[in-house]
Amino acid sequence: MPPSIHPVDLIASLRQKHLTPAIVFLTSRRACDEAMQSFDHADIVLPPVRQDAIAAALERVITQYPSVAEHPLIPTVQRIGVAAHHAGHLPSWKIAIEELMRQGCLDAVFATTTLAAGVDFPARTVIITQSSIRKSRDFTDLTIGEVQQIAGRAGRRGKDQVGFAVITPSPYIDLGVLTKGFTGHPESIDSQFSISYPMVLNLLKAHPHEQIQAILAKSFAQFQLNQRAELLERKLDGLHVQMEPFGPRVCTDWISQWQTFDQVRRQRPQRHQIRKHESPELSARFHFMTPGRVVGLARGRGIVLRQYRSKGQKNPMISVLRLDGAVTECPASNVGDIFDRIFECDETPAFPWCSAAAFDELSYQLTELPTRLPTLPIMVPKDSEVLPDAIVQSLGDFPCPSCPSRPACQKDFATALRLRQEQHRHTKSIQALRASLWHRFQERVEVLQKFGYLSPSAHLTDEGEWARLIRIDHSLLITEMIRAEAFTGADPSLLTGVMASITHDDDRPGSFPRISPGLSSLLGQVRKLAESLSPYEEPPLLRADVAALAERWIADPTLTWIGLCRLTTMAEGDIYRLLARTLEFLSQIHTLRATHPGLADTASRAITLIRRGVLEELP
Amino acid sequence: MTIDELEQLLVQQPVAVLHRLARGRVHRHFRAGKRRLIEMILQHSSQNLAGLESDVQALIAERQSQPQPPQPPARPAGRTAVAPPRRTAPRGGEPETAEAAVSLTTWLEGIGVPAPQPFVPDPWQNEALAALDETDVVVSVPTGSGKTYVAVEAAKRAIAHNQTVIYTSPLKALSNTKYTEFSKIFGPDKVGILTGDRQENGQAPLLIMTTEILRNLLYDAASGEIDIRLDTLGLVILDESQYIADPERGVVWEETIIFCPSQAKLLLLSASIGNPQDIADWLTSIRPTTCRLVRHSKRTVPLRAGYLHPNGKLVPLFKTAAIPSGHAGHLHPEAKRLFFEYEEETLPSGRPRR
Ligand SMILES: Nc1ncnc2c1ncn2[C@@H]1O[C@H](COP(=O)(O)OP(=O)(O)O)[C@@H](O)[C@H]1O
Ligand SMILES: [Mg+2]
Repeated sequence: MPPSIHPVDLIASLRQKHLTPAIVFLTSRRACDEAMQSFDHADIVLPPVRQDAIAAALERVITQYPSVAEHPLIPTVQRIGVAAHHAGHLPSWKIAIEELMRQGCLDAVFATTTLAAGVDFPARTVIITQSSIRKSRDFTDLTIGEVQQIAGRAGRRGKDQVGFAVITPSPYIDLGVLTKGFTGHPESIDSQFSISYPMVLNLLKAHPHEQIQAILAKSFAQFQLNQRAELLERKLDGLHVQMEPFGPRVCTDWISQWQTFDQVRRQRPQRHQIRKHESPELSARFHFMTPGRVVGLARGRGIVLRQYRSKGQKNPMISVLRLDGAVTECPASNVGDIFDRIFECDETPAFPWCSAAAFDELSYQLTELPTRLPTLPIMVPKDSEVLPDAIVQSLGDFPCPSCPSRPACQKDFATALRLRQEQHRHTKSIQALRASLWHRFQERVEVLQKFGYLSPSAHLTDEGEWARLIRIDHSLLITEMIRAEAFTGADPSLLTGVMASITHDDDRPGSFPRISPGLSSLLGQVRKLAESLSPYEEPPLLRADVAALAERWIADPTLTWIGLCRLTTMAEGDIYRLLARTLEFLSQIHTLRATHPGLADTASRAITLIRRGVLEELP
Repeated sequence: MTIDELEQLLVQQPVAVLHRLARGRVHRHFRAGKRRLIEMILQHSSQNLAGLESDVQALIAERQSQPQPPQPPARPAGRTAVAPPRRTAPRGGEPETAEAAVSLTTWLEGIGVPAPQPFVPDPWQNEALAALDETDVVVSVPTGSGKTYVAVEAAKRAIAHNQTVIYTSPLKALSNTKYTEFSKIFGPDKVGILTGDRQENGQAPLLIMTTEILRNLLYDAASGEIDIRLDTLGLVILDESQYIADPERGVVWEETIIFCPSQAKLLLLSASIGNPQDIADWLTSIRPTTCRLVRHSKRTVPLRAGYLHPNGKLVPLFKTAAIPSGHAGHLHPEAKRLFFEYEEETLPSGRPRR
């Protein structure tokens, strides 16, 4: 049996069942292109009437977008009524295909899932061949929301009584992910708020420093953090009630008193033996690995069911509920991520360490977790707390041995301490939740002060005034380059080359034209600067080959689009996107007219030079 | 349906149905008993009873369409034990599992083009538009339901009041498509598009742009450099606003919403998400008026799921023609068998099957 159905058979079979038009989602552009090639000698041609209709519709699109006319897929599109639509194509081509689909001219479109939202046209049938999707570097399972977004393209209102989402297997498929996606409820979404340098500058331009916290508090991020803080506050209230019997006794703070006494009693003989290998990081992190906490391990996520120390070595350990429902024991040092997510966990003293109901619910919650979860910011104390020798020596000074409250203290201590620790933990977590955005903002402020964009009183300096207009990724690198006068005397092609290498974040190799010595040395400078800024901003890839391609387009105004495409193995859709993004970056530089007229002028000339041919077709 | 009738209807439903309704509406519903659950569902949907009602109806319809074991006739207790009710008797000695499952013919039934019908807005569309007269609105409905109609109608009304309308999409490609589409609806002189380096028709009452461009405009306006008519801005439509959860770009939606002028209404259009109420509650907490949530999860065009084997054999994916919400395991025995066979043949030996 073939690993997946042959495209020609697929289309024939869809036609025969009246399941056309269909969108066939494939794993890669290459798969789409190969599917198209497989129709080269296929005999499932359309009747002449329909071929003519396609030709006429294409003709209309071409008057608006001339670049469509030269597309090599046109013969297949007309003959068979199928097309490919993916990020490797020019926007004009994609518009043409969408238009043909809207007019009902095509039987099938082969598309990639990379951007389910990018395919904004419906069909009667959607064919799904995969259950995971490439996100940046690796493949992750589709979420329920994504499966429904894809399947949702099936069934056109007014044109179909029913829509069909059909799975056809490929070696990349996990049926469970898809059936869950079809039948499940979409996941809750979480804020992905992040604080960038331009955001800080623009906020401080418009508002005084003391108002910023209130503005950050308006974010969805803070709204969700508050929701979690409120949950913890309710728990804290519960803890207060539980703590009532353990109020002041003979000494006001009997818990601490007893704790020290107890610790000293135990530590005296075997002092400095336990936990000597434990790093402060691990101790600090272990503190948060409490029952109900979601943690990331090498093989997926789990929920902590209990924390304990191993018998012999006293290593910090946890029992974890895994996705497959198993409970495993694992050293705390194996925990990769500690997520900012904790579930209620009705603890019990024996395996599986929580009540049956809690176990079921946690197992369920674990499967329902969103793919992305924020991790918990954990502060590591400077030095771990070991009791000073002086206290150990002074055991005789403790009143406890002869105190009337001793039996009660001894009996209640374990419970009271646990409750109090929980109170502390919750209080700390609540503080962290309430203040984390503000802290992140302050961190950025400090960096901007260090670089002189903000004054010590957090006002915009002259540099800050113009730097706030650069509102794109890698803004710090760009503004620092401008301040270092890296672009002085650079012509439009050099500026374009550098900007292109900053925008491009794909590391797929390919072949490209040669780079000019001027651009090469300028890029060397940029690389050094980016390296030195790396503690404050992730450096871009800064690929010289990609820069050279963009440089060519500007340096040689007689170069045609087809000529440019011939210089590289990069797909034309990618070249388009590279230049379009570069255009965006250049237009931000163009906004610096008032402070950097020379540079803004170079940017403006570069913009005019980029905008020709295909790049002029769309706004 | 009044709230009391709705409550009656909920009381008649099995707890499992209530839990499914509660998902995404009520926090921690697993702990609640039936009474409390109903109370919470009603309380949390008080803003959008119509949406709740349509979801209840959908769930009921779905349960009815599932093949159910025949109900034992009402008999005095004690006698039923004699012959325990079984599923429908197997026909022609077929295996029992295959029996309960839908046939391909039934699964394909109804395929085709519906008779043309005059355009009548859906209740949820009217509800969203009416609410928008008063306040901000969050719409969360399945893909293909007709969110564009709400956007267009809302824009028409705002333009009629001489207000400026901004419509944003997450992708430049989508902006271009909408530019063409809206130019046809409103007339080319009424629609403009803004990109980083270009404006076409920047003075038109309806402006299309990506969310990033709008965010930048709002930052400029906040620092006093208004170059667009923000003072007449009456409506901001954020399409595909589920993008707020995008790891890289989501923050732009938050910035845009935080800095959206308070005199302008916000209309957030989103595909189905799990917690639209959170988004609405958030807007309520930061905007001048109480945000209305309009949601439903029933698809307008019913969807069926199938399985196509590499050898060309097409079978239904689930036992039922409709997708059995909440029952990922209700696979069609034939689909299950074929997929198992596929995995056996294609998996390199030793690779664990998930
Ligand atoms: N009330 C309605 N009656 C019939 N068809 C409608 C109605 N509302 C919208 N449609 C049609 O539904 C289709 C999908 O609408 P669209 O707005 O693109 O969906 P989405 O919710 O995914 O944005 C469009 O063809 C539209 O004309
Ligand atoms: Mg839409």
